[in-house]
Amino acid sequence: MSPAMNVVGRSVPRSDGIGHVTGRTQFTTDRSFPGLLHLKIVRSPLHHARILGVDLSEAERVPGFVRALTHADVPHNVYTILGLIGVEPEEEFVLAEDRVRYKGEPIVAIVAESEDAALEAVARVKLDLEELPAVFEVEEALRPGAPIVTHWGNNTFMYEGHPCRRVRFGDVEAAFARADHIVEGVYNTKPIEQAPTETTACIAVPEANGRYTVYTNTQAVYFSLDNTAIILQVPGNKLHFVGGTVGGGFGGKVDVIVEPLATLAAMKTSRPVRYAFSRSEEMQVSSTRSAWRIYMKDGVMADGRIIARKVTSYADSGAYSRQTPYALTKHAANAAGPYAIPNVSIDAYCVYTNRQPSSAMRGFGITMASFAIEVQMDKIAEVVGLDPWSIHFINAYRDGDMKPHRKLVEDATLIETMQAAAGLVGHELPARFRAMTSARRPEGGV
Amino acid sequence: MGSKIVTFVLGGREVEVMVKPMTTLQAVLRYQLGYTAVKEGCRQGGCGSCTVLVEGEPVLACLLPAEDVAGQQVTTLESITPVDGLDPLQQAFLDASGFQCGYCTPGMIMVSKALLEHNPRPTREEILDALAGNICRCTGYEPIVAAVEGAAQAGAAPGAQRR
Amino acid sequence: MTVGEYLVPRSLPEAIDLLERHGPELLVMAGGTLTMPLINEGIAMPDRVMSLRHAGLGGIERRGDVLGIGATTTLTQLLAEEGVPLLREAARNMASWPIRNMATVGGNLFTPSPGGDVAVALLALDAQVRLAGPRGTRVVPLADFHTGFMTNALAADELLVEISVPTTVRQTAFIKFGRKHANTPAVVTVAVALERRDGQISAARIALGAAGPHPIRVAGAEAAIVGSALEAGVIEQAAAAAVRECRPLTDALATEWYRRRMVGVFVRRALELIVEQHRARVAESA
Repeated sequence: MSPAMNVVGRSVPRSDGIGHVTGRTQFTTDRSFPGLLHLKIVRSPLHHARILGVDLSEAERVPGFVRALTHADVPHNVYTILGLIGVEPEEEFVLAEDRVRYKGEPIVAIVAESEDAALEAVARVKLDLEELPAVFEVEEALRPGAPIVTHWGNNTFMYEGHPCRRVRFGDVEAAFARADHIVEGVYNTKPIEQAPTETTACIAVPEANGRYTVYTNTQAVYFSLDNTAIILQVPGNKLHFVGGTVGGGFGGKVDVIVEPLATLAAMKTSRPVRYAFSRSEEMQVSSTRSAWRIYMKDGVMADGRIIARKVTSYADSGAYSRQTPYALTKHAANAAGPYAIPNVSIDAYCVYTNRQPSSAMRGFGITMASFAIEVQMDKIAEVVGLDPWSIHFINAYRDGDMKPHRKLVEDATLIETMQAAAGLVGHELPARFRAMTSARRPEGGV
Repeated sequence: MGSKIVTFVLGGREVEVMVKPMTTLQAVLRYQLGYTAVKEGCRQGGCGSCTVLVEGEPVLACLLPAEDVAGQQVTTLESITPVDGLDPLQQAFLDASGFQCGYCTPGMIMVSKALLEHNPRPTREEILDALAGNICRCTGYEPIVAAVEGAAQAGAAPGAQRR
Repeated sequence: MTVGEYLVPRSLPEAIDLLERHGPELLVMAGGTLTMPLINEGIAMPDRVMSLRHAGLGGIERRGDVLGIGATTTLTQLLAEEGVPLLREAARNMASWPIRNMATVGGNLFTPSPGGDVAVALLALDAQVRLAGPRGTRVVPLADFHTGFMTNALAADELLVEISVPTTVRQTAFIKFGRKHANTPAVVTVAVALERRDGQISAARIALGAAGPHPIRVAGAEAAIVGSALEAGVIEQAAAAAVRECRPLTDALATEWYRRRMVGVFVRRALELIVEQHRARVAESA
């Protein structure tokens, strides 16, 4: 006898539902604190420039100005979000030092008694910048002579000494040589802003016990806490992060952007400090989904089997890598799709340009691969002269198949899902596809 | 700095606030009066999450200097929430799960409230038109439209109840 | 960002007086839907702002065959006015309900392209605008009001107080084509107003939005249909002329290339709409 089901198969009221429909749910900037200060950022107006000078004298005279923070105030100014999981090198500047690498890069933080005063002081900071040549396009960034974006190397993230994440499975070139058809495609996608309705924000509050409580709408509260501790060089137990209520994220709130500076400002002023993005900052400065370019080449037999796939992908990471190296790893693992392709070669490049950094967004790395793969599948159907359903069933992976990145397929359901989908749209499948299952292939079978 | 005292009626109660020149109704409600159901999604009139009713008509509190509502009736989500339980429209949003993150919800409910006051039996097309200025990034809108349809069927508007 | 003074005049003379006293540095605001975002973001930091919301310039007045639309009449008020179907169509396609409750007809004439759909309809209707200043008032055809991107015929000490349109034009069509179904700036907006005599087009005004630095008329396209009975070939000629004459801009919504092509498509569709309406009217009266 199975135990009674309390949740599965039942409609359970959401615990936050009453709060949402009454407006009592407390989002980050709904909190108020006596003596709250406001932090606003002086940002680079140029895509790539050398910083020759920063003049704060006029800003300091704005009524309500409290103080400015520059890179010299940040204990550990150069960091990498994924450093927590061993990704190297540390590369992103909390506040820019001698160079800005994207339009909107933070240079100075202004703390003031009101948001108006902070904005006015920001407008009065004088920057002396020398514009440098900039690069905005992945393949241009890889050409010899391109402006170098990073301070530590070239314009590619390095994977264990290689300029790309690589997958090698079987012998692609030999398979291309015996294939009946070669099908090629180039797929470009644009950056996409996650555009949560609530902008990225936090409020850092000094507590009597010497700790700092940080109310934040981060999607990754421990990522934010740990990176803040590293950047500020304080033990993690000095920081108490309160998160969980997020007004939309979609991957846009996993970067650690507002908490370190707000907490630093709270430390330097002994007052609560709010750092909330304006809508323009959310759209123009916060990370987006990367722009991608994907070259795909498939070797296909006359019966519709894909026997080889070669993929060269470039993700535009922008000026700093943030979570994009991980996106490329996921991409490389999935660029063959849910299909049994015996010969696969994948090179996936995380490329630095002078655009705003890109990072996580819903299925990042895989979403763009799926777009390319599925357009490619339709092209293959056209070339071979079969309908797209057939190409999908013929190539669908099964339990026990080895994926190119050496993961054994388990619990596959692609075939059953397609059968159900065909039923729902009223498409009559041939008997051989109706009889197909995702069960392990017979020994030696294809 | 030229602050003025502005008096208006908020949820049936007269309030008096000292406002700096051009302070928005949104900032006054959120940061001076603590009415944080009035959300702050863009401050550009682009998202609808700060929608409040002035004299019963939906407007965007981020585009309205507080001085402009002197002497007028202002209604926020706080104002329509009963002491006990929920307004039928709120219940309809809860029943239909007309939200995910909840950030756009106050604006959605305020526009819907005004719609049902004007038009107790709106068509789907009329609901879509009324909600066109309110951005939801989570739901894909269908459960929100279903919530308003549900509220209309349940007679959430006073006008409908009188029938 | 920190505005020093917010002036809310209660009458037109008071507003004109304040404008004269504070000079061109005074930022004049009607519904606030254009100005407030700039102030909220710290993009505009004016010392003084004057709101016309309570200056008594709202409301619509019928004077015989003319509709006098006060400058601060809201788009919601315009939507409720049944006298001129073209204006209703334009208002219906503008923004969202809360914005229509705030945005004004007068303010629409100051909206940078690609905004300002109502202005496109007003241009097709050959609207007149009344400007008031310390030396009195003057009336200017809307066709002469816009002088460039965000520039106009208004003197520094003048305010736009009224827009007047004829209520007699009956053959009209309005199409706004956007990237979304609603609440979006236009890729292209087309407003057409025609007069017909003995089955033939005797006068034509075709106005375009998002196809120039401000709402524009396309004289070549108009000339192509005058004297015709709007035959399919004539409509094609007019659409082609509009494509040649328009000067679209590239922005985040659409490129110049795309807008130019859409001008052709939607001028054609707007004229076809008029043909359909005319046929239906003839069939009804027969």
